[in-house]
Amino acid sequence: MPVFAYVIIAVVVLAALWVVFVFNHLVRLGNEAKRGWSNIDVQLKRRSDLIPNLVEAVKGYAAHERQVFEEVTAARVAMQQATGPAQAGEANKQASAALGRLFAVSEAYPQLRASENFQKLQDELTDTEDKIAAARRYYNQTVYQYNTRIQSLPDLIVAKLGGFHEREFFELESPAEGQLPNVDFSGDPASQ
Amino acid sequence: MTLQEQIRSNRIRSGMLVLTFGLVFVAIGAAVQALYGGYALIIIAGIAFIYALYSWFANGRMIASWTGAREVTKEEYPELVRAVENASIAAGLEQTPQVRVVDDPCPNAFAAGGSPKTAYVAATTGLLAMMKKRELEAVIAHEIGHVRNRDVRLMSLAAVLVGVVALVADLALRFAFFGGGRRRDGNNPILMIVGLAMLILAPIAAIGIQMSLSRRREYLADESSAEITGDPEGLAMALWKLKQDTTELRHANRATAHLYIETPLNNARGMRAAMSGLFDTHPSLDARIESLEKMGGFRLAALDGEQPQLA
Repeated sequence: MPVFAYVIIAVVVLAALWVVFVFNHLVRLGNEAKRGWSNIDVQLKRRSDLIPNLVEAVKGYAAHERQVFEEVTAARVAMQQATGPAQAGEANKQASAALGRLFAVSEAYPQLRASENFQKLQDELTDTEDKIAAARRYYNQTVYQYNTRIQSLPDLIVAKLGGFHEREFFELESPAEGQLPNVDFSGDPASQ
Repeated sequence: MTLQEQIRSNRIRSGMLVLTFGLVFVAIGAAVQALYGGYALIIIAGIAFIYALYSWFANGRMIASWTGAREVTKEEYPELVRAVENASIAAGLEQTPQVRVVDDPCPNAFAAGGSPKTAYVAATTGLLAMMKKRELEAVIAHEIGHVRNRDVRLMSLAAVLVGVVALVADLALRFAFFGGGRRRDGNNPILMIVGLAMLILAPIAAIGIQMSLSRRREYLADESSAEITGDPEGLAMALWKLKQDTTELRHANRATAHLYIETPLNNARGMRAAMSGLFDTHPSLDARIESLEKMGGFRLAALDGEQPQLA
């Protein structure tokens, strides 16, 4: 066989290896994003499960604040019907606003605020919100990495062939949010 | 280096550390054999091998018993457990590490154990009393950073191995000076001098390894904390508070010093004070705060209304 045949074979083999490598990397990033999303999803579900209990607790003391109850319940329905991170994010924001009003209303009822059940629910909700925020950070960072990879050459080619699609962010507040800060693992920032 | 490379390098270093430890022990064994004769080399090497094997799997438990870190439940310490849970979620860990508490008024925290699955995060009761929610979360995120970067196994191994090298060399030296009744006649004096030199050098080498492992990793974990919480200011405030504190950790010792977020050996006196710059396991808190300020683009002294305050 002439030399150039060997060269061609070598190039083809290397290209195939590269495709496999990139493909696997994208699959791994995609799986991380999926896992990140499931962390958010669990907490969103927990939040929407807490809402009826909270509404019941407040109703016991402030039954006539109907408008606020309706808002909260509507937000909960939106949360349950949302499909995909972007919609879920919108619904979650709506729920936050409605819950904010519910808590503002409950300020006027000292007995309600003093009730153990109400305090416990409020505490649970705060924890859920903190966890959503934490999970959101990880998810958005992963999605940012993943989307950047599949949008830029040369990975773009493999992504198109392999049917990788961009993923939606969840409650992205600023474009910079998804980006990782530049953590440099190679050196000491201070002179030593 | 990326996170993946850091993780790989930590894994390799863990293996190398155990190997180095083995070699140091062979050297100690040879030194003891030169001094006393007998089967010292084989016996010491054998014990060292078993100990290394044991510490590979049990370093977390060993450190927990040395430091007095006990397992706690979410009911006992809801804020701490939540901080650990949230930092784990934000760091993308698959599992929340165990949470432990050390009953000690001195504020400090550390992480130890093996893989992220067996690692744990420990905080002192003093830390819990001193830090506000935001600061506590930043400190815990620093420790979760160690877990995520896979520093914990390497640093825990260093703790249990360095400790025992110092202990054994110390014992052998005491024996050489005070108790050495079994010395054989006609022993080669050069061999004996080399043996003594080795026993003196072994713990110094061990401490050198320990230092080289921890200093850079502290900066890294600070950066990881900022990345996990998105709040470098919170960590800077927490470090500032730690700096103001002068209490000394009760269970502090040289071997585990590098595990903590801040060096637990505060009140150094005499020799140790003179050598402290040389043998510090941690960069100074000022340098770390400064590096966080640079990263987050703020000045701790100029934070409006958010300046850290001691309770």
